[in-house]
Amino acid sequence: MTLRFLVALTLLAGAVQAQSVTGKAFGTYVNVAGMVSQSPVAMLPTTGGMATGQADAYGVPGSVDAQWLNAVTTGAVDTKKTGAQSTSEVENVSAAAGAITADIVTAVATSYFGQFNGGTDATGSGFTNLVVNGVPVTEDVAPNTRVDLPGVGYAILNEQTSTGDGVTSWGITVNMIHVVLQDGLTGLTTGEVIIGSASSSVAR
Amino acid sequence: MIKARHLSLALGAVAAILVAACQDTASPRPSITAGHVKPPPKGGGECANFRLTGGGRVDQRDHLGYAKSTPESHDFATFGFQARPTSACPPTDGSGNIEWNEHNPDEFGGGFAFHGRVTFFTTPTDETAGDSRCGRFGGLGRLNTRNNGTFEDVPFEVSHACDVAEPGVGNDHIKITIGDVYTRHGILSGGNIQQHRLTGNN
Repeated sequence: MTLRFLVALTLLAGAVQAQSVTGKAFGTYVNVAGMVSQSPVAMLPTTGGMATGQADAYGVPGSVDAQWLNAVTTGAVDTKKTGAQSTSEVENVSAAAGAITADIVTAVATSYFGQFNGGTDATGSGFTNLVVNGVPVTEDVAPNTRVDLPGVGYAILNEQTSTGDGVTSWGITVNMIHVVLQDGLTGLTTGEVIIGSASSSVAR
Repeated sequence: MIKARHLSLALGAVAAILVAACQDTASPRPSITAGHVKPPPKGGGECANFRLTGGGRVDQRDHLGYAKSTPESHDFATFGFQARPTSACPPTDGSGNIEWNEHNPDEFGGGFAFHGRVTFFTTPTDETAGDSRCGRFGGLGRLNTRNNGTFEDVPFEVSHACDVAEPGVGNDHIKITIGDVYTRHGILSGGNIQQHRLTGNN
């Protein structure tokens, strides 16, 4: 009887300890030929809480120019209900030498579980007045939309990547603009630019 | 000291009005009164035995759906917060933080970023009073406007943040008032609000 109680107690303790959240958000990340630059990052502790990363302006010539970068991530661990939600916003964006521009880029990544279900959600992510290769994009951009950028490479817009097993863990990363820089002759990847990134995950 | 700070805020508010007026005389702007520097609100509700976290986006106003606003309007806000009582009942003191970013250029200061520090946490006293899914909190914060105004110790109140269902989109809702120059109240168009048991520090 005592042994059963101890085993149950141990399993319960393990279940509680295994619960965790992650959250991360940032405005811009640039890697050109190995030279890395990044705006302030909001990183959520695995036990929950809140973190922010902000900058009034951020620029890397030829790669990205942006203003009002705001990244926020919050979350909490609880046996009844656990969640993490991250938001990244960037305004007056110009990327890839002006091939992509937008008034506002917003990434929202939500992960959660309750007593009966869990999941992720990227709803709320979007562009305000997006222009790609000089053409205004008036419709919502579907997840993982690829567009070619002549002389630059290509970009994945509203890039969404899921993580977790869907049973005990759930996670999602949203990169609203992910430019892959390519060598014009060889086609080899030479770098990348990410603008508007939010990610979150939960585990029980 | 406090009077000097209030005077500074009042002068800043007047300057902000003048700047806004010079930038766009055709469109009406919300007025700023001395109430902008009114004393911090006090917790009027009952103490709460839970904590709240949340983050996401609000577009529509007053529960009129949760669709995204038109791109031309820039009419939406994003936010993130954590708030909790500082101890078990009965005190209504609270702790935590909130970030609120308003994008509508017709709002105060042409839009703004607000960073608030939570000083009280209670059950709601507005139309959501009695709804156990909702909490109320507030305090003071710093307001940075798009037209380069900065205001310190501005009172704010989240009169309710409600965890209705998972996920929060189309379900959870929040109402915030900042000074007497800004209010937004709506259903989440992105993100989530969660109510948690009052355990741990986060």
